[in-house]
Amino acid sequence: MNLGLTLAHGLIVLAMPILMVGLVNRTKSLWAGRKGPGLLQSLWDLRRLLGKRPVYSDVATPLFRAGAWVGLASALLAALIAPIVGHFAPLQFEFDFIAFAYSIGLARIFLMLSAMDVGSSFEAMGAAREASFSAFVEPALFLLIGAACVATGQGSFADLVGQLQQTPVLLLPAVLVLFILLQAEAARVPVDDPATHLELTMVHEVMLLDHSGPELAAMQYTAALKMSLYAGLIAALLNPIAASAPLARIAAALALMCAVAVTLGCVESLVARLAMRSVPRYLMLASLLAALSLGAAGLLSGRV
Amino acid sequence: MNALSTAVILLLVGSLACLAPLSNRVRAGIGVASQALATLLVWSAMAPVLFHGQILLGELAWAYPMGTLRLRLDALGAFFLAWSLPMTLLGAIYAVGYLRPFMDSKRHVGVHYALLNLTSLSFIVVYTAEHALVFLLGWEIAALAAWLLVIWDYTNQKVRFAGFNYLVSTHIGLIFLVAAFMILYAHSASWDLASFGQWLSSHPGAERNLVFLLLVTSFGLKSAFFPFHSWLPRAHAAAPAHVSALMSGVIHKAGLYALVRFVFLMGRPDEWMGWFLIAFCALSAVVGALYTVSQRDLKRLLGYSSTENVGIAGIGFGVGCLGLSWGQPALVALGFAGGLLHVLNHAFFKCQLFYAAGAVYQATHSVDLEHLGGLGRLMPWTALSFLLGGVAISALPPLNGFSSEFVIYSALFQHGVGVWAQVALCVVGALLAFVGAVSALSITRAFGVIFLGKPRDASVHAPTEVSRWMLLPMGVHAAGVVVLGVLPALGFMLVQGPADIALALLPRPSTGVLQTISDSLTRIGLVSGALAAVIALLLWLRSRARSAAVQPTWGCGYGAPNPRMQYTGASFSWDFTRRFRGVLVMLRRRKAPMGYFPSDAYVVTDCVDAVERRLFSVIGHGDASASAISSHWHEEDPRLAFAAALLFIVAVAALVVLSAGPLP
Repeated sequence: MNLGLTLAHGLIVLAMPILMVGLVNRTKSLWAGRKGPGLLQSLWDLRRLLGKRPVYSDVATPLFRAGAWVGLASALLAALIAPIVGHFAPLQFEFDFIAFAYSIGLARIFLMLSAMDVGSSFEAMGAAREASFSAFVEPALFLLIGAACVATGQGSFADLVGQLQQTPVLLLPAVLVLFILLQAEAARVPVDDPATHLELTMVHEVMLLDHSGPELAAMQYTAALKMSLYAGLIAALLNPIAASAPLARIAAALALMCAVAVTLGCVESLVARLAMRSVPRYLMLASLLAALSLGAAGLLSGRV
Repeated sequence: MNALSTAVILLLVGSLACLAPLSNRVRAGIGVASQALATLLVWSAMAPVLFHGQILLGELAWAYPMGTLRLRLDALGAFFLAWSLPMTLLGAIYAVGYLRPFMDSKRHVGVHYALLNLTSLSFIVVYTAEHALVFLLGWEIAALAAWLLVIWDYTNQKVRFAGFNYLVSTHIGLIFLVAAFMILYAHSASWDLASFGQWLSSHPGAERNLVFLLLVTSFGLKSAFFPFHSWLPRAHAAAPAHVSALMSGVIHKAGLYALVRFVFLMGRPDEWMGWFLIAFCALSAVVGALYTVSQRDLKRLLGYSSTENVGIAGIGFGVGCLGLSWGQPALVALGFAGGLLHVLNHAFFKCQLFYAAGAVYQATHSVDLEHLGGLGRLMPWTALSFLLGGVAISALPPLNGFSSEFVIYSALFQHGVGVWAQVALCVVGALLAFVGAVSALSITRAFGVIFLGKPRDASVHAPTEVSRWMLLPMGVHAAGVVVLGVLPALGFMLVQGPADIALALLPRPSTGVLQTISDSLTRIGLVSGALAAVIALLLWLRSRARSAAVQPTWGCGYGAPNPRMQYTGASFSWDFTRRFRGVLVMLRRRKAPMGYFPSDAYVVTDCVDAVERRLFSVIGHGDASASAISSHWHEEDPRLAFAAALLFIVAVAALVVLSAGPLP
């Protein structure tokens, strides 16, 4: 049973980044009145990139190349901890959410460092934005988890997410917070526009300007993986199927993740990216919501 | 105890021999050798204490005026001794490389080594003292030795100012400490810490609260908690790198030792004390982290990050304190073990970062972020060392900072406390997450600006890698950072003894708590180790790939980029710091380009310490108004001023008598 779930988890984690990017892009092209690329387009892109000979900047140190792979490895570790199907994660222990948050932090710091390694002011600008946005985002996740801790009395990420369903009042704010976190971590509109064409207005894409070949593939896959992890958390919160029917539950999780991707695509088509100076306010909204749900969780639990 | 007294004598003899008329190299050799021997002696004495829970007792028969001097080494002191001396030894080794330009000059380097020996000696005295006056003696030796070490470059007026600033601050701290000790002595009629403890644990109330506040203020000044930190960035920027490293990583940990010691003596602290500690330390952590973001002097930056990290460790102690007052073994064990583990880990990575900063300074004669750049290719080992330390200080896996913060987090997210207490602790957890992200920002900024990219300023000396004497201590610290990250259970073995002392204070014996933490740390270590292994595997796979083409950096269409156009430290942090204008005082001097053919233009930004600025402005105002009043009175009638002063003195004396009662 657990082996099966682990396998399913692994497959979802590896496949969903590709499918989700495809879905988001397809949704956006439908809104724009185009047919758009196929759902698996990013898979072919990754394959093409992996076969290419990379070009490195003459300023870059070995850190530049290492950054992409450290990022990928830490995102994969985070993927092992994130309870995507709800109530289950292959790697589960008390307070594992700290390891989740901090391994994503490791991925982020190496992304920023390899951006700064080429000595381009544009890329360092992207790194600076990423760094300051992440500082505004970070408390939101912990406040939200704190709310879940207070409401459920559990300790590990999978249990927290699994049990939070029994407190429906907290579900909506939790989903909203996670959605904002997703937009920030995976660099989506309105925090960042992956399709923008001007380096000055980019956050995530500008950090990859000098990456090419396999490193670029690793970076892009890592970004997509982070997106599907947060989408998976949202899916796990909303999953209506009981844990006793694992197959149906996995199917529901997949459907919900696809729904999150479609929602993302709709948001990206209908909303403009925020001005850079107002992004932190948007991100603090997540912290505020999470703090409110922490307060609500305190009020709700009867053991005063 | 014999080994410890031999170590003390050895250190004293060593420091005297350092002063002897020999060549500077021989003096340095004597210093390092005596430190190394003393380290071995101390290890042999403290190992049974730390790992088997023995207690070493000693007595020095001393007739007058203090009576018998008692010494006592328990697991808490042994934990601090276990790493304080070897790290000082590493600092002394580093100094051989760092002070190399002076080795053949007329400058007496022996004094420096003698002072390092005295620093080690002060650790032995402070961590074994049972008699309050012995404690004060060790405290004062450490303060004076540190002051003299700071002003190595005493011909520089700024360095002297920083030194005096430190000296004054540390003695203000001493006043608070002496005040607390006097109150305690008045009640327990003994100078022994144990009898202080008896009174403290049996007399909760206003006076105990006062003692607690006095002690926290004093130890806060010693360990540079916000808002008592203003001496710290100055002193760290002025001192030689190894002295900054030792002060930040080792010497000022005595403040945290004393804090934990007195919390243990209190037995069952009041609940407010725990909350007060948590709030005080969380404030330190947040403000310290914010200040690291805006600094342009690398050593000042690292200094502020000490304020941040003692705050993080202190949060752990605060939770432990709450656990003691609520009788919750899990909180006690997690809080104290996590805080102490963070103290140890901080000593490892902070010294490493300061050593790397010192290497940068020695190679380029600058630690100004805005002038440095691209050092990574020229000084690869220093860069690697700084990177490892930086990842560790941002508490990221797989290095050691993560393991201790994990324990502190798990103390904060613990169940089984009241709902609103849990909500409050979760908020502190979120603050800690914010602090982590901010320190990741500032370390990315520091590392990226200094070591990555291209050299920014042609006037900065093009560096080469520093000497092996300096790389060796960095390497040892780097090894510690990695090993304690992958095998955190090893670090936990060291803090288990002190945590046991804390658990023994609880009314009910508790078993298995420590084992649970140890298990979860082992798990964290496995996760970190697996992560490190996967990273290594990916990098190895990648290194076998075909060679790559090399091209200039993409300039976004601009054809004539120059290194001055790279993002500076100030521009990196501007986006963040401008949102914290209330806390971070940014000074800005600029000349904007004007007209169609502008001549020169510049912008200079720097961040000054808000507390220090405020302090000086208050002193300035007070001074101005006092002199205004006195000159006014002087003109009217001098007798008036005398009468006012007399009245003031009588009023103060009356207040003292009224509050303390008649003298016994």
